[in-house]
Amino acid sequence: MGAETVISAAATFALFLMCAAFFLTAYRVVKGPTLPDRIVALDMLVAIAIGFIAVLAIRTGFNLYIDIAIALGLVGFLATVAFARFVLRQGMEADEPAAEGENPGRRGGRQRKAAKARRRR
Amino acid sequence: MRPAFTVALFALAWLAVSGSFTIPNLLLGLVAGGLSLALIRDHIRPDGRRVRPLKLLSLVLLFIKELALSAWKVAVLVASPKMVLKPGIFAFPLTVDRDFEITLLANLITLTPGTLSVDVSVDRKVLYVHALDCSDPVGARRDIAGGFEKKILEAFR
Amino acid sequence: MLDLVLAVIVAVMLVAGGVFTFLAALGIVRLPDVYTRMHAASKAGTVGSGLMLFAAGIHSLDAAIFTRALAGFVFFVLTAPIAAHLIARAAHEAGYRLSRHTVLDEMRDARERSNKKR
Repeated sequence: MGAETVISAAATFALFLMCAAFFLTAYRVVKGPTLPDRIVALDMLVAIAIGFIAVLAIRTGFNLYIDIAIALGLVGFLATVAFARFVLRQGMEADEPAAEGENPGRRGGRQRKAAKARRRR
Repeated sequence: MRPAFTVALFALAWLAVSGSFTIPNLLLGLVAGGLSLALIRDHIRPDGRRVRPLKLLSLVLLFIKELALSAWKVAVLVASPKMVLKPGIFAFPLTVDRDFEITLLANLITLTPGTLSVDVSVDRKVLYVHALDCSDPVGARRDIAGGFEKKILEAFR
Repeated sequence: MLDLVLAVIVAVMLVAGGVFTFLAALGIVRLPDVYTRMHAASKAGTVGSGLMLFAAGIHSLDAAIFTRALAGFVFFVLTAPIAAHLIARAAHEAGYRLSRHTVLDEMRDARERSNKKR
């Protein structure tokens, strides 16, 4: 078994795992239920993309990909910071009302929660 | 740290990252280092901070160990079929008082097992920490104070 | 021989990074609220992609590339907690609730106390 085979097999395995991770995280982005949830998931998508690029750098031997990964990390961090500022400024109003049922807000949240618990019983 | 020393450090880092050890590249590194230091000059105040390299190294080692441990713990928790969660936010009274040290401590706390720093109170006396397992906040506080905070105080005082 | 040893190291790092990334994504789906999800994203996620970068740096067998990968890793380790802290703080300030498993919230208590004083 040569060195190339080992690395190629490991890279394929890692790509497979990250593909699954990508879909799981994308599910969280779509599902929400709240804006911060989506931001965290988007942040995670960037991290997964960095992993993807690193594995591609290994598979293709094209080392410039690492610089691209670092640049993507920079941009992703700035995007997350901007999103966090947005949440801080807008508060819960930025969220669609559909999110209220899953993650109740301050006003009227308790009654809704109680109703939900009753339904469960 | 002396400015000249910092610029030399920047130039060395530049040489290592760009990967070509030539005189023009060294000059470019020195110029870039000097410029970037001049840009942020107003924001760093020299406050007689002493750095102890050995203690700093032990802090870095502790950090790497805790980071690996923490990723492992989160992974195990998530992979277990029945997640046992007792999340909560507890207040941690700070002993360190300089901005730099608080930032470092908050970062270290975030990357350690089961804890994530959320906010600092306005008077910079209390750090609010979210923990995955908040059944024993007293013990968690003791762990942070005896671990990272002690090491930071040792490394920078 | 040395080739093979290096290859095995890189392969192990790749697999470990993939597993951590996958588990972080699983955590993002399984954990109950945004604060606990952040734990998974900021720890396992950082370690996962960091290991990948490291593996790429070692695989290149080039000091400059390795230093660059190391710089990238340090950068991620520095920024991930800051990003997580910013989102957590913004979410808590905006009033997003913690999950119903939550046993303690001293931050909300402190804010209520200071509101009463005012």
